[in-house]
Amino acid sequence: MVAGIVVGAVPGLSVTMATALLVSLTYAWDTEPALAMMLGIYAGGVYGGSRSAVLINIPGTPSAVATGFDGYAIAQRGEAGMAIGVSTVQSFIGGVLGLVALVIAGPRISEFALKFAPRDYFLLVAMGLSLVSRLGARSMPRALVAAAGGVLVGLIGMDPVTGEGRFTFGVPLLIGGVHFIAVLIGLFGLSEVFYQLGKIGRGRVAQIQVPEVGRILPSWAFVLRFLPLSLRTSVIGVMVGALPGTGGEIAALLAYDHAKRTVRKPTRPFGQGAVEGIVAPETANNAAIGGALIPMLTLGIPGDAVTAVLIGALFIHGLRPGPLLMVEMPNLFWFIVGSYALANVFLLIFGLMAVRPFVKLVNVNKKILMPMIGLISVVGTYAIQNNVYDVFWMIGFGVLGYFMKLGDYPVGPMVLGVILGPLADINFRRAVISVHGSLPAFVAEIVRNPISLVLALLLLSAFVRLPGGETMNRLRRMLRLGKREET
Amino acid sequence: MHGARGPRWSGLSLALIVTVVLIAGLAPVSAQVYPARSLTGIIQWGAGGTTDRVSRRVTPAAERALGQRIVLSNMTGATGAVGMQYVYDQPADGYTLLYAAENPTLYGVLGISPRNFDEFEPVNLIARSIPVVVVRSDSRIRYLTELIHAARQQPGQIKAGSTGIGGVPFVVGAMMSAVSGVRFNAIPFDGDGPAIPALLGGHIDFHVSVLAAVAEHIRAGRLRAIAIVDNAPSDVVPTVPALGQMMPEYRPYLPWGPFFGVWVKRGTPAPVVRRLVDAFRPAVAAPDFAEFAELLGATPMNLSGDEAVRWVKQWQSVTAWLLHDAKATQKSPEEFGIPRPRR
Repeated sequence: MVAGIVVGAVPGLSVTMATALLVSLTYAWDTEPALAMMLGIYAGGVYGGSRSAVLINIPGTPSAVATGFDGYAIAQRGEAGMAIGVSTVQSFIGGVLGLVALVIAGPRISEFALKFAPRDYFLLVAMGLSLVSRLGARSMPRALVAAAGGVLVGLIGMDPVTGEGRFTFGVPLLIGGVHFIAVLIGLFGLSEVFYQLGKIGRGRVAQIQVPEVGRILPSWAFVLRFLPLSLRTSVIGVMVGALPGTGGEIAALLAYDHAKRTVRKPTRPFGQGAVEGIVAPETANNAAIGGALIPMLTLGIPGDAVTAVLIGALFIHGLRPGPLLMVEMPNLFWFIVGSYALANVFLLIFGLMAVRPFVKLVNVNKKILMPMIGLISVVGTYAIQNNVYDVFWMIGFGVLGYFMKLGDYPVGPMVLGVILGPLADINFRRAVISVHGSLPAFVAEIVRNPISLVLALLLLSAFVRLPGGETMNRLRRMLRLGKREET
Repeated sequence: MHGARGPRWSGLSLALIVTVVLIAGLAPVSAQVYPARSLTGIIQWGAGGTTDRVSRRVTPAAERALGQRIVLSNMTGATGAVGMQYVYDQPADGYTLLYAAENPTLYGVLGISPRNFDEFEPVNLIARSIPVVVVRSDSRIRYLTELIHAARQQPGQIKAGSTGIGGVPFVVGAMMSAVSGVRFNAIPFDGDGPAIPALLGGHIDFHVSVLAAVAEHIRAGRLRAIAIVDNAPSDVVPTVPALGQMMPEYRPYLPWGPFFGVWVKRGTPAPVVRRLVDAFRPAVAAPDFAEFAELLGATPMNLSGDEAVRWVKQWQSVTAWLLHDAKATQKSPEEFGIPRPRR
């Protein structure tokens, strides 16, 4: 569990990898302790990712990307303790709500999740991408340029349909594509290092001094105030987690998007340190764990990458994860539910215990802190798949991110593009190939299918809600961009 | 002077010869102490996949036989070429093992990487998976013949799961197109992971998968297997007919299916290879591994040496030419000296 938080907090060390390591480590153990250990790592890792996102603006795991948008801003205001406290409590709430959903409605949710067709995945991902329009705080065109660049980078590599290289210029190295975690660490982490070092050089560094850590544990009133939002984003988390093609990172992004759309009066504007900006993604990404466990336990289908490894572990321990697991081994189901519940309790305890030393990190002189973050970025990137080229990519994107920051281009949309672009691409093509490449038939399918119709309307409402007469222009620009990506 | 010097020189050279002989004599000794430190095992596919499961399951027994740890790590990317390249770049001393699947046989023709199995020596071909054709239990298609008939009636209409060029559905589809002349609408997925939920949800009509991935869904009555792509039925689903028995015209292509094994770089000293072979053979032969393989729907092979090389060559020849005839290759198998399979 503690290991999970640490793994999550170190960028590049992914939860999937940690769980996979545990499969070997716990090979000789009995099934139950091995599973409990892996569930602990899972919950801890997803939670721990937010810590580095808040403190040093490098999401430790992809599911913490959305947390960094506002979390880092809060920490820069000297309220890192509060940010971590909120993220811990909300992770716990999300975890528990996810668990409740698993116990109450597991089989029904998984049947519902199976109904999602490729076109529905496309619509969901498009919703995530539409967040770009609300993320580029100052300038919409710049956000769009960044996002389009991200989509482009995300598409580098072998075409999933034809096997041809895309944007590889015949270079074999590019066939495998660019690992999105390398992009993420470069754009968020290293670029911030460059940016801050540049400021230090010009003697304009704002050293944050937080004499006291301040209140960590949010008050009941505080928690209650955000409870409606927590509930809504938990539902998003559970649903997105339960979908076999999407995990915590998309859950968190959609939840952030949802919060931004529905919360009229945030504590501060979104992107500048809104508490809602932590509440929503942190609840959702931990609720997504419960969601991901649903298809795993009821159908033997992984809800995300980590549950895929867990299924592998069950296999290695001689069990048969599948639709009959719950019927034939109800004990195991309840054991998993129990140990995951316990993992959540420990998450709350350990999470709140270890805040103080972490928060002091923000106080460290930037001349010392920044090079260390640079080092962590390099090591973390190498750890993704022991590939030194990933480090080069990371450094490249660090430099790019630096110039983007200088030119006031937001990096968030670019990361969204990298993560969501390929997903949108493959699902759109799956959907269109299913109807033999006919676009009218694609639209007809959307209208005919209730799930697709609801998602499409939600997606449209994202554009219509934009204030002012510029909306249609923006919409048109988005559409034009969208079309270019599709062809 | 010269005369006096001569013997001294020869004395020196004698000492040199003695040293050389001593070193040469010591060499087998040092090979006997192999492995002197822990080994590294590079798995070329991701955590949780079949290659990963097989590797992690078989390794502990081999570790016990070697008396050293084998530290496993997954190094993925470029259809496994990244991990293979890494092992290739390490010294051929037997301290870095490559846990690979069948993919490197096709790196050449698909233009993925210059690496191939000729540059490696097989330690053990552990097991092979058996492909199976599955439909949803409520599907109108009950037999493979019905599927082929339906595909003939509406060419390119039936939605098939696909996992990319060279994947199991692709190659079996190429077989069906070569032998029965049918075409399907291949819907691309990143692997069995997302393809099976899509089949369960009714978004595709059928899928060809390895038995491991669908065995539990078949047992639960959600999916129905309509054919085993092998010459004989499997013990895991004994009632499902084998393609090779139903339609003998498929026999030249069978047995076909993904395989998993352990390799070291070519040039590794023979005694070291022998030590590894001797460590892995009993690990794969162990009864509990057989049980695990059955659970996985795989058939243990436990091949090494020339036998393993022959199997890989035969597999490569069948598959590379199938893909080439389906116009899915970038380069002709001929360029790599891959002979056409004999009919």
